[in-house]
Parts: sequence; structure tokens; C-alpha cells
Amino acid sequence: MATTLFAGSPDETDTVDIGDGRLAKRERRRGLLFVSPWLIGLTLFFVFPIVASLVMSFTDYRLVADGDEPTKFVGLENWRTMLGDDNVRNGLWVTAKFGLLFVPMSIFVPLGFAYLLTSERLWGRSFFRVMFYLPSMVPFVAGVIVWRFYLNNQSGWLSRLLRGAGWEGTPNFLNDKNWVLPTLVFMAMWGVGNSIIIFIAALNGVPTQLYEAAKIDGAGKWRLFRDVTWPMISPITFYNVIISLVGLGQYFLVPFVLLGPEGPPEGASRFYTMVFFRETFSFFKGGYGAALAWGMFIIVFAITSLLFWSAKFWVHYEYEER
Amino acid sequence: MISNRHGSRRFRRGASAVAALALVAAACGGSDDAETSVDDAATEADAGDEAEAETEADAETEAESDGDTEEDAGDAEEVDAEAEDDNGGIIEGEQIEVAEGTVEVRWFIGLGTGSQDEQIDAQDEIVKTFNASQDEVTLVPQYVDNAVASDVLATQIAGGDAPDLIGPVGLAGSNAFAGQYLDLDPLVASSGYDIDQFGDAKDVYRDPVDGLLGIPFAVFPSAIFYNTELFDEAGLPYPPAEYGDGGITMYGEGTEFEGEWNYDKLEEIALILSVDSNGNDATSAEYDQSSIEQFGYVHQWTEDPAAQGSFFGAGSVVQEDGSAAIPEQWVAEWKWYQNMVHVNGATPNADYQASDALAGNAFNSGRVAMANTHLWYTCCLFDEDGNARTNFNLAAVPNYEGTVTSKLHGDSFRIHKDTDNPEQTFAALQYLLEEGALDLLTVYGAAPAREDIREDYFAGLDEIFTQGVNWGVIMTGLDYPDVPNHEANMPNFLESDALIKEFSAPLMSDPDFDIDAAVAEMEADLNAIFGT
Repeated sequence: MATTLFAGSPDETDTVDIGDGRLAKRERRRGLLFVSPWLIGLTLFFVFPIVASLVMSFTDYRLVADGDEPTKFVGLENWRTMLGDDNVRNGLWVTAKFGLLFVPMSIFVPLGFAYLLTSERLWGRSFFRVMFYLPSMVPFVAGVIVWRFYLNNQSGWLSRLLRGAGWEGTPNFLNDKNWVLPTLVFMAMWGVGNSIIIFIAALNGVPTQLYEAAKIDGAGKWRLFRDVTWPMISPITFYNVIISLVGLGQYFLVPFVLLGPEGPPEGASRFYTMVFFRETFSFFKGGYGAALAWGMFIIVFAITSLLFWSAKFWVHYEYEER
Repeated sequence: MISNRHGSRRFRRGASAVAALALVAAACGGSDDAETSVDDAATEADAGDEAEAETEADAETEAESDGDTEEDAGDAEEVDAEAEDDNGGIIEGEQIEVAEGTVEVRWFIGLGTGSQDEQIDAQDEIVKTFNASQDEVTLVPQYVDNAVASDVLATQIAGGDAPDLIGPVGLAGSNAFAGQYLDLDPLVASSGYDIDQFGDAKDVYRDPVDGLLGIPFAVFPSAIFYNTELFDEAGLPYPPAEYGDGGITMYGEGTEFEGEWNYDKLEEIALILSVDSNGNDATSAEYDQSSIEQFGYVHQWTEDPAAQGSFFGAGSVVQEDGSAAIPEQWVAEWKWYQNMVHVNGATPNADYQASDALAGNAFNSGRVAMANTHLWYTCCLFDEDGNARTNFNLAAVPNYEGTVTSKLHGDSFRIHKDTDNPEQTFAALQYLLEEGALDLLTVYGAAPAREDIREDYFAGLDEIFTQGVNWGVIMTGLDYPDVPNHEANMPNFLESDALIKEFSAPLMSDPDFDIDAAVAEMEADLNAIFGT
């Protein structure tokens, strides 16, 4: 029986040739041929470097060796060093502190904006959507440079604004160890346009009949959000949480450009990724750097796995049976 | 249907697991954040480096590199001296043709000076002249942004694609690649090159084990650069134009400000020259440090703690027994400077230096009266239109407790030990040290290591800075160098150097920075890095 494209899921009576017939074999060969460029690229540029970096993490490989000393296998030495390295601990702590602010805000701030931007009462919704998305179009480094001027404690517009508003002794946003992480989180909110778009799509995708039914049952705005909107957009929220966490594990560019690889003041902005960068590309310790990269992989993988496990408690898939 | 649903759930779970793996794998794939692709991140990081470098370069003369393409030339192979505009920090230069039958010698520029826009054209011209002068070697320059040059060179070496010739590079830059340089003794012997012309300096780059690793090319002594307009405006005598016996000299002789030219006197003058937006100077109780319009003094791009510490006297963190200890005079200097920045308000702090007014090049902004820096700073004394500043002159460095230290930088060229063409590379190096030297030195703002061409060199500088700069006083600084040099090698140099440099940020930004505690901590950390 021929299947009809876009006519829904195939049922048990749908048949495709998955056997060992010549046609199937030919199709498999052709399929492999078509995907082979991607497979080759994946193997060469992804799988091989990943495996190589794992192997490297057990060596004392240096990008630039002093003399002609050969690279040696050092077993778990890099991993032991990593566990006892104060810079690594500090990097993880800084990353965790930043994440505690960043991850929730990267969900609720764009969600809040998305809510506002889907409001029927908002005049010029398209205009505002464009305006909120525009910052995401600005190259990150250009944005960071502007932020650096903006946040300068002497001539920065923000400090001038605050002083103009009567706040003397404005915080030194970039050079005060208590302010630098909140400042970076604040800056990160500047680029939530993508998440806003995704949340807008999710909010628009919630069936209106659910709201109508809930309203008939007497649900107020909060109940509507808690019992209808939130569960219905939870897969998207879940996706955004994962993306934020992965982004957290890679967070590097903004503090690097804004503050430099030392992570001033006093290491308060020295994220784990900057420790990795310094060890690998400033000190040329390739073996140790590989161990650090794998350390981050393990951490992000563990947290992501935990999130996937927890999804069954809070992520609602409309058509999934539990 | 139930089995279908189960199948569907299995599929979803499988897909979720694959998606999770893909996401996590992506986490290790190099993308910087969720909204930035791998390529974007790399490009932006490079752009960031460039942008950061441009903060300084903005104040410099703007001479655009035209990047003209050479005309077609028979069988010649055309080599793009630099690839694209943004290729991992590699900067576009003029395309060089490798003539048939010649050996290509790649010259890596950027580890030290040489990769600023206005320097590239001039170096291209020197390369073209050299290539036209003989038929055995084609010199191909590769310009790399200084901010990423170290990484690029490391990657090239690790990838077995090391350049033949590297430089100019200072001591610190070369320390990072210790063990990578060719011993030049055999080449000097076989070519008959006269290195005795450099006098005692000929052995500056000699390693007891590895041999002669470099030949002196340029020296950058330091001096006080002062803004004549600001001194005139304040009615103050200029700082001393020459050194006295043992370097000790006087300031303002015959005036109410007369006194020995030391750092206390410099501080006294700097306070008078520091002015807030209400017109109060830093000697006034009304002086408002939150709105300073003009500063008295700055360590102009010499705020590396080892560098600035050496203003109060040379020293080394490496003790005779191999352990680490910070020289006392360095600690004294750091405290003096902290006082100048945060108590006196006579030196711009980190925020002021990054502000619109000073734009990352404090002295050149015209808002700082005195700067202690090197001869290479002539690179960056230009207005926005590229006109050379005519409102500065040079003065003697003050003494600290009777000792004068004119901190010294020096540059050399190195040949990589893995070069396939050592003789040809050395031939190119000889050209840069001889025929091409004067033009190159002018481009780099460096005084020649060869004494015989110094007069011509400064005549060239006088054509740029027409006010009649007292170059003699900065060259006299060569009599008071910092020995041991503040850039001298030390155990585990890269990590040790990075650790010392970390001291700079809190010094410049934190008024409450506890220097004594930080020094104790630094010594402990250095000993750990040294393994002592």
C-alpha cells in the first residue's frame, strides 16, 4: 500500500522495503553515499578530535615543547592535577555562581518579554518584537566593546545616568568583585532575543480552546498560566534550559573580551573556560587542557542527563502517555 | 496501535538521548554560547582581539595598507603574504611572488612590534627591495596581530609549520618559545658576518647551552616623556634634560621648585599638574578625584608589575637558591604607584585609562603631563588625523634612593630550529640587520643596536617630530639599564609571568588592595610554580 506524504503517521499496514532485496540494498548504498560527506566530516573533524583529546588528556603534550622532549604518557596525572587545582575550583565556583543567576533569568526574562509581546493589548507588537530581537543581530564582540564603554565607571553612560539620577558612588561594575558577575548576567539579558522568539512561538502554539475551557471553569490569570500555559510550553522551556546550561559551560567570549583572560578583579570573572584557555593557549599545556575540556564535558553531560531524567516530572508532552 | 505508541515513545527517548548527546557534544565543540555558531565565535574572538588592539591603535597614525596585488609574472607562483582579512589574527599584507628557482623564507611578524597597519606597508617595501636584490631567496612576511601572535605561532610550531624567521621580538616574547631557536654560531662562522660590531651586546642573546639564539637589532631605552604645553600652562620648569653624575640630576634649578630629581620630586610636580573639573589641582583639599580632567603622571603601557617595579631598581624574582622572592624596591614602587593612583589622584586608574577622555593611550590624549615609557612609544604619538605630536619632549628618569634605572627593552630576530633553509634565512636576516635596518628601525620606533647608524635614525625621527626632541637623554638611559632585565627568563616562564601580571589589575582598580598580603601570596604561588 502506497503511503501518502504528509498524511499522518504510518500505521502498521504501511510497508517500506526494509529487507535484503536488491532495491533495499541499492537504496542503502545510495543513502550512505549521500550522507558520506557529512559522515566523513563528522569523523575527521569531530569524532577524531574528541577521541584524540581524550588520549591527549593522559599525556604531557605541550603545544610548544622546550627543546625536543617527546610527549609522554602520564596516566591520570592531569586529572589528579585538575582535582587539586585552585584555579579550576575557582573557575567552577565562578561559573556556578554565574549560572545560578543566568540560567533562571535566561528562562524567565525572555518568557516575560514573550508574554508581553504576545499580548493582544500591545500596540505595534511586530515593531517591538523586531526591537527586542535586534540586539541578537549585533556581533557579540562589537556589542561587548560598546558595553565596555557603557559600563565605564568614569565616562560610561550608565554611571552618568545613575549619577544624574542622584546616586553618588555608583558601583564599579567591571572592577568590583561583587558587581562583575551580576553585570555579566545583566549583559547576557541583552541577547535574549532568540529565546523570546522561541517563547513567542510556544505561547502562540498553546491551543486557545484550553484557555477557553479553563476560563469557563473559573480559572484566573495565574491559574491559566500555571495550569495551562506553563505545562504547554514546558518542552520549549526544557529546550531553553538545556541551551542555557550548555551555553553556561561554554561561557567565554564576553568576559574574555570585556575583562581579559585573567578574569579580574581577583579572579572573580575567571570562568572555567578561561582557566581552560589559559592553560591550553597561554601556557601551551595541551595535555592538561584536554583534561580540563573533558572535565567540563563530564560536568555538562551529568547535569544534562539529570535534566533529562527530571523532565518526566515537569515537562509535559501533549500526546505522550505516562 | 499500542505497540506503535511504545515504538513512538522508544523513538522519542532515543531521539532525546541522541539530542542530549549532540547538545553535550556541541558543548565541547567550541561554540561559545547558545546563540553563537562555532565560526561566529571564532570570528568574533578574533575581532575582539583586533578591537582591543585598536583601542591603542586608534590614537596612532592611520596609514592604510593598500594590499595591492602584484602584476602577473610569468612562471612566478603568487603567495598571498596573508590570507583573508580575518584569518585567525593573520593580517592582510601585500602579496609576494615566490620567483621560480628561489627558496621561500617565511618571516613571522607580530610576536613583538611590526603588525600595526602603519608598519606593514613599510615592511612590505623592505621585503620587496630585498627580494629584488638577489635571486636565491624570496622573503615572505606573515603579519599576525600581536594579541594572538603567540597562539598563532604556537599552533604553527605544533602543526609542524613553523616559520623560518621570527621577529622582531623582545625577551619576554622570546622566553615563551624557549628551546625553539636555532643556534646562529655556525651560520655566523660560515657567512663571516661581523657580530663584533654590536660590542658587548653581541652576547645578550647567548645561552650557555643552546648557543647564540639571536643577534641584537633594536634597543628601546626609557625616559620621561613630558607634555610641554601642560608644564607651560602650570608655569612649572621642565624636567631635567640630562643626567648628572651617576645619573643623579636636579629639577628646577634656580626656581622655587628646585630639588633632586627623584620620585618624590616627580610626585610633587605631578600633584600640581593634576587638575579636576573645577580647576583645583591635587595639592588642594578641594580636589575632586571623581572628575579629574588632567593627570600628572602615568606609567605609559609599562604597568606590568615587573616592569614598573624596575623603575625603582632592577631585580629578579628568582633568588640564588632558585626560590622566588619579590625585590623590595619593586614592592616600594608598587606602593608608590598605588598611592599616586588612589590617594593622590595624580595617575589615572583603570577606569580613567579606559574612559573616552584617555582612550587607552593616556599620554597621547594630552591630558597627562608626564609618562615613563620606552622609545617605542614614538609609535603612538599622533593625533586622530595622523599628525605627529609636537607638544612633547624627553627628560631624565628620576632616581630612587640614589639609583637611576632606565628600564630597557631590546629586540632581536630568531631563526626557528626546524627551518629547512637556515643559510637562506640567515641571508635574509643579515639584510634586515644591515641594509634594511634603518628603515625597519624607523618603522618600529627603535634605536639601532648598531651604533654606527643611530645618528641617521634620529635624523629620521626628527623629520616626524619636528619640535626638536631631546633624543640624547633617552639614549643616555642606556647607561642605566635594568640588570637583570625585568623580562629575563625564569622557571616556568609563561605561568610565572602570567601570575606576576595578575597583580596589575587590582593595583590599578582597587583602592583597598593590600599589597603586602598580595606579595606574600604571590611569592608562595611563584614558589609553587618554580617547584621550590
